[in-house]
Amino acid sequence: MPDVLELEDVRKRYGPVTALDGVGLTVAEGETVALLGPNGAGKSTLLSIALGLLKPTTGRATVLGRPPAAVLRDGLVGVLLQEAGLLEDVRVRELVAAVAGMYDHPPPLAATLRAARVEDLADRLVGRLSGGQRQRVRFALALAGGPRLLVLDEPTVGLDVDGRRALWQEVTRRGATTVFATHYLAEAETYADRVVLLAGGRVIADGPVEAVKALVGGGEVRFDSGGGTPDVARLRALPGVRGVRVHNGTVALRTGDSDATLRALFATFDDVRGVRTERIDLESAFVSLTGGDSEEGTG
Amino acid sequence: MTGSYVRLELVRAFRNPVGMTMLTVFPLLLFLLWAKVLTVAPADHSMVSMATYGAMGGAMFVGGAIAMERAGGWLRQIAVTPLPAHGYVTAKLLCAAAGVLPSILVVLAAGALLAGVRLPAGTWVALVLLIWTGVLPFAALGVAFGYTFRGQLAGLAMMIVYFGLSVLGGLWVPVTSMPPAMRALAEYSPTYQVGSLGWRALEGHTPTGLSLAVLAGWTLVFAALALWRYRRAL
Repeated sequence: MPDVLELEDVRKRYGPVTALDGVGLTVAEGETVALLGPNGAGKSTLLSIALGLLKPTTGRATVLGRPPAAVLRDGLVGVLLQEAGLLEDVRVRELVAAVAGMYDHPPPLAATLRAARVEDLADRLVGRLSGGQRQRVRFALALAGGPRLLVLDEPTVGLDVDGRRALWQEVTRRGATTVFATHYLAEAETYADRVVLLAGGRVIADGPVEAVKALVGGGEVRFDSGGGTPDVARLRALPGVRGVRVHNGTVALRTGDSDATLRALFATFDDVRGVRTERIDLESAFVSLTGGDSEEGTG
Repeated sequence: MTGSYVRLELVRAFRNPVGMTMLTVFPLLLFLLWAKVLTVAPADHSMVSMATYGAMGGAMFVGGAIAMERAGGWLRQIAVTPLPAHGYVTAKLLCAAAGVLPSILVVLAAGALLAGVRLPAGTWVALVLLIWTGVLPFAALGVAFGYTFRGQLAGLAMMIVYFGLSVLGGLWVPVTSMPPAMRALAEYSPTYQVGSLGWRALEGHTPTGLSLAVLAGWTLVFAALALWRYRRAL
């Protein structure tokens, strides 16, 4: 059986700007894959190419072994796009029904409305809804055709905590292949089988959440630099250390072996203070792998 | 799959109070102004002019909806459904065709009931059909505008062309009261030729060959424009 989604060495250039720089990605039936990366990493471009909305400059994208646009026409894909608009002058029920009617075998309308939690909004005009409510309508449109592949670009933007939880519950309950882009690290960590980290148009890590964390080592050793300038080269040479960051007087050593790093740290430097070790979370893995700033407070 | 979308578009068209007012009340008031107050032309002539004018607006302004929906991102949503892009345009055109009928009927009814226009039954039917089919090419022109301009700008651009063509074609003031040079130009405008379908029908005449040829030419031009702009926007 062909993979549900396959990208082969996809590149996308806009004039001098390279949005995607040779991306390969395979998603198997039943997988839930999170596409994670800072803004501008190329997440939306990648999804647009995977859906056939954009042509790659070079490379190839297929869905179920066929050109994406053809699979979309056959109604096998449900999509929630970030910038997609809605019709304002129709009721929620009318809009979802009209979209469901474009598919060959849509699930019952009531089931879709319930799944997206828009039952209580069904008779409201779309134009009168709040941002979070509109996002739920978008989710309903993605589910309306009973798709085999669900593609969600930043699906929980504008949703409150309950709304997010409900959306992910539905994605999990369906159990169908899902690819979603997010910069909410906690969502990727909690709901994805697999995380694909994208930065600067490249895939810099691809694997189960645990494996992506392991890539950057099992933990982090932090201490106060005590005002002086730390000797980064010597710190990097310590056993187990894979990376060094200095920020606001705190030195953070990314390490695959906290014990060995700690022993060597105390043996080599006699003035380290305030030492603590931390189990790395996806947030830190993200920062160290992309080399960029994560967006604080978005998880 | 286009069927469910056509249904939605029809519901929207007939529930839209602003659109329905523009399509019925506006041409109706203009007709009453022309026929009862100003009497710039005989009542039956004005009736045909204003029915044509209102219907033409209804057909063209399908482009306004396209432009607004493009700007609002709805077409991005449509692009990820099984509805083909031509299905969207087809739904819009069908809607435009259905939406112009009320403006024709309202003005003709006002002619009969308020302005004392008396015609054989067959002529009334002929008027409805001639005006109805005659204004359909303007829906293609509207589609071209909708895929060229974004948001409100499309409405403004269409308004200018709409008024310009209506005046030039003698829908407001009969071409017989125009200076000779303007009149010569007017006779090659699509609006004059659409109007002449109805004006001739009032006297029991069939459309002239020139009318049909000019209209066919404009229809081709509008359709080509629409197709070109639509393909470029995809």
